[in-house]
Amino acid sequence: MSTLTVEHVARIEGHGTISVEVEGGVVGEIRMDIIEPTRLFESMIVGRRFDEAPLITSRICGICSPNHAVTSLKAVEAAMGIEVSERTKMLRRLLVHGSYLQNHATHLYILAAPDYVGQPNVLPLAETHPEVFHRALAIKKLGNELTTMVGGRPVHPIAAAVGGFTAEPSAHDLETFAARLHAVANDVVETVALFSTFDIPTFQTQGEMLALHDDGDYAIYDGEICALDAGWCRPVSEYRQFVDESVVGHSNAKHSTVGGRTFMVGSLPRVNLSWDRLTPAARIVASKAGFRAVSKNTFYNNLCQAIELVDAAERCAILCETLLEDTGSSAPVKYTIRAGEGTAATEAPRGTLYHSVTIGEDGVLTAGDVITPTAQNLANLEADMRAFAPTVVHLPEEEFILRVEQLVRAYDPCLSCSVH
Amino acid sequence: MAKVAVFSLASDYGCQVQITNADDKLLEVLGQFDLAYWQLASSGHVPEEYDVAVIEGAVTTDEHVELLKRVRATAGTVIVIGACAVTGGIPALATSGVLEDRFDVVYGEGSALAFGGRISPLPVDAIIDVDYRVPGCPIEPAEFVAVLQRALMAVSDHIPREPMCAACKIEENVCFYESGTVCMGLITRTGCGAKCVSLGRPCTGCRGIAADANLVAARAIAVSHGIAAEKFDSALSLYNSAKGVVR
Ligand code: SF4
Ligand code: SF4
Repeated sequence: MSTLTVEHVARIEGHGTISVEVEGGVVGEIRMDIIEPTRLFESMIVGRRFDEAPLITSRICGICSPNHAVTSLKAVEAAMGIEVSERTKMLRRLLVHGSYLQNHATHLYILAAPDYVGQPNVLPLAETHPEVFHRALAIKKLGNELTTMVGGRPVHPIAAAVGGFTAEPSAHDLETFAARLHAVANDVVETVALFSTFDIPTFQTQGEMLALHDDGDYAIYDGEICALDAGWCRPVSEYRQFVDESVVGHSNAKHSTVGGRTFMVGSLPRVNLSWDRLTPAARIVASKAGFRAVSKNTFYNNLCQAIELVDAAERCAILCETLLEDTGSSAPVKYTIRAGEGTAATEAPRGTLYHSVTIGEDGVLTAGDVITPTAQNLANLEADMRAFAPTVVHLPEEEFILRVEQLVRAYDPCLSCSVH
Repeated sequence: MAKVAVFSLASDYGCQVQITNADDKLLEVLGQFDLAYWQLASSGHVPEEYDVAVIEGAVTTDEHVELLKRVRATAGTVIVIGACAVTGGIPALATSGVLEDRFDVVYGEGSALAFGGRISPLPVDAIIDVDYRVPGCPIEPAEFVAVLQRALMAVSDHIPREPMCAACKIEENVCFYESGTVCMGLITRTGCGAKCVSLGRPCTGCRGIAADANLVAARAIAVSHGIAAEKFDSALSLYNSAKGVVR
């Protein structure tokens, strides 16, 4: 039995090693070892003040820090019974959606696309496909500048605080961004078109799919958690009852299951569950690209990220325009520090993100829990690798490994998030 | 052309993201060196030889210590980027108390299964000599590009020595101490333009303690504004709790 290993899988965030045993063309044991060192965040927030929790937990991930910050803020507010204003919610939605533009563009073009055009990284694209390269940078830059406009910088937002925002974008900025977001429409539509030309394997995940769902909206900030196959929806506050986490020997990240099944979170589950809440433009582009909800092909996660770019750009433009109207204040509301327990979830670009905190009377945290999208995906990712590898094992070794890596990258795993 | 390799220890990759956020400057800078290894952005293996090592993240395992020694033996120039690598940053919050207890909190019963070789978090210069530092959580892309250029041209490091209150005053902010709120600007290394204060939040000290900072006097100022010394020290520990870093 020979074991093929890919140490420190490239073009993903964090360190992971894939090992696949192959004997006479038959795939044996297959694993993804998560060797990223844990930083023990859940222990580190204990003993810190409630308003430091969002600051600390946003350092779980430099790529989706706005999502960690916003989810943690919501958990703290839930624990202390703080109601934020409508305008605050709008700005937070803008922060989360802005992070989609930034994240999805980075993942699609810098991390995933090189696989499909047979390059080790994005740089050769700058020479061979300059228009693609510049489009990538343009979308990413717009996403960065949008999160900077709302949060004060692209990574680790500053202005988002417990109860509201300590600073707001100017009317001039909002106007400029609304126009720029409309102008990027062509680039995001082209992104969907580009990813629809890539040749993806026919493959179906056997796992369940989970995402936030909201009757009136494409749910990213609020809503209930719904399961696609099982057909249930449950409040976020019950997450620890339906998501089972367990420690596994080969991974510093815990594995998750729901009702005994592995499951997937992220763009594909979201698009599947909230298909008719996507903006019309996003649905049209998706249909043209040949995407049909419901799909269980894991590789479509990338195409769904592109579809979400179209949705997010339009939504952000509308949010900017609405924020230009008189919608009240986003200044932090007055609150009193009190003891309590709070849970919250948002949809980070890579999937559902849960945070919970327990706060004492003095405002100091006594416990905290975080379940990140990648931690939820890992068991399903391994199950997918086991099912997929035998279908490509006949290929030359190098290509076989590349295909398996491609599957891993379809998940856009964030290993530093997963071990936090 | 100098060969540059990028390594990551325990971190959130935010500083590497900030490197990709040098957007416009990215290509211009990339033309000046050969990017020999960067796991986040490219496939490939760590090369045998490289001239400049860029290191992100705090040291939290024996494996990191070994890696750093190899890196130092290979690279002529070592640049550390971000609070984690420069001061131990947020990961160093895990320095207090008993490390195993923290594993129990996170992994519960299964804690024994989690990886061995763990050490209390440390900044990179606790293990090897460092030539250049880019502080901050996260780093400023422009500052990184400037430091990289200094490194490529072998001009010595030029990290700001003074605390940031002066920058804060240039921004015409009202001092947080006037409302009895603790702010780390008094002792934090300048260079971010008092970013947080200008956006209505007190400085939390992500750029580390300035060489010219007077901690004793700063603590006394806090106390004279009705802030308990413990509260000041707790705020100070957010980014500066690695052993040997807090003075
Ligand atoms: S203590 Fe903080 S708010 Fe006051 S002057 Fe210094 S940086 Fe500005
Ligand atoms: S004001 Fe303080 S916390 Fe904010 S970026 Fe500057 S050094 Fe970091």
